[in-house]
Amino acid sequence: MARESCLVCQIVEGRVPSAKVYEDESVLAVLDVNGANPGHCFVMPKEHYPIIEQVPDKEIGKIFNVANKISTAVFESLQAQGTSIFVANGIPAGQTVAHFLVNVIPRFENDGINLLWKPKQLNEEEISTIELKLKEQAKNIGGFEKEEKKEKLHHEPIAKMPAADEDEEEDYFSRQMRRIP
Amino acid sequence: MPEQMNEEQLKALQEKIKQMSPEELKEFQKKQCIFCQIIAGKVQSKKIFEDNIAIGILDINPANPGHILLLPKEHYTIMPQLPEDVLSHLFMAAKALSNSMLRSLEVQGTNIIVANGVAAGQRAQHFMIHVIPRKENDGISFELPQKSIQMDELEKIGKKLVENLGSKVEDKEMPKPFVMPKKIVEAQFKEKPKEKEAKKAPIKKEKKSIEKIPKSSKENIDLDDIAKMLGVK
Repeated sequence: MARESCLVCQIVEGRVPSAKVYEDESVLAVLDVNGANPGHCFVMPKEHYPIIEQVPDKEIGKIFNVANKISTAVFESLQAQGTSIFVANGIPAGQTVAHFLVNVIPRFENDGINLLWKPKQLNEEEISTIELKLKEQAKNIGGFEKEEKKEKLHHEPIAKMPAADEDEEEDYFSRQMRRIP
Repeated sequence: MPEQMNEEQLKALQEKIKQMSPEELKEFQKKQCIFCQIIAGKVQSKKIFEDNIAIGILDINPANPGHILLLPKEHYTIMPQLPEDVLSHLFMAAKALSNSMLRSLEVQGTNIIVANGVAAGQRAQHFMIHVIPRKENDGISFELPQKSIQMDELEKIGKKLVENLGSKVEDKEMPKPFVMPKKIVEAQFKEKPKEKEAKKAPIKKEKKSIEKIPKSSKENIDLDDIAKMLGVK
């Protein structure tokens, strides 16, 4: 389901050259030539999924395990002092290509990368409201393993929305991705 | 948490730690770990999600309201220590929590971040995944600079990684660089190499309606509602 206009799909297909460090039947990892640090890699599913919510659980496990292997390799062979695993999901989060990918970034002291934040102060009431809202949504999370075996059967409990909405959701995010600022 | 120690006690402790086997060290860290105490229910927290492997709690120092820390119940310090199945489970849960945020908080994005090691900003001794809800102009400015890396250096790095990973990657000459769209992680995007393609795509009609998204939308907004605002039928 590769998309003509998707840069990442073009890399997966080899139409855009890349420096591959890992490849299997469903996951590809390449070096970023303009990385945040030397050794910065992108780990991506070969299939085209704009945002993480669209990636099947089974593939999530695979992709992040590959990211972990690369992170370990970065520690061992590049003598990095740390690694950052970074996913930007949606435009406000900094996503720039409409193809889900995981950044694995070797880290060194004072390397000019900032993935920290200033804590926000919330009052008790705000916290309770958020807690209730999230809990309500999160109560159906689970059944990941079962999902691997019987993918279709366990699809509904994750989200309460009907399956038909998924297309709209994808449209929304793809459009957001291509939005002209 | 231990009381304040004097210098001698501290030295004795450091000496003791040096002598420990990896198993003993893990046990020791576990006892000192605030997150293990949260998991054991000894310290209070706002739990959002829990199963037999993982727990998701609200961060008391959130980057944004709704910021969740997702932890394995077992004590691990950094990601390379995690068994494959636990790691898969955790990130599946991270995906589901990200989805919960998009559906229940009025946010339009999420960040999923792991810091391995102090240089990466890790502060706690317990491995965790941060799932952070994002909206435009929320004051967070993650920065991933784009460094220009010499081709020969890149080639060396590539070889080292391929060797370490035992990857079956064809041993070709290093390709000419491709440039990913600029990754300054802020709400405003000035440079977008993909724009040209996007302009050609038949989405011109949506452009106007997208601009009409109300800045302050109601609480409990659903993705469905957002989609409707965009003019999706």
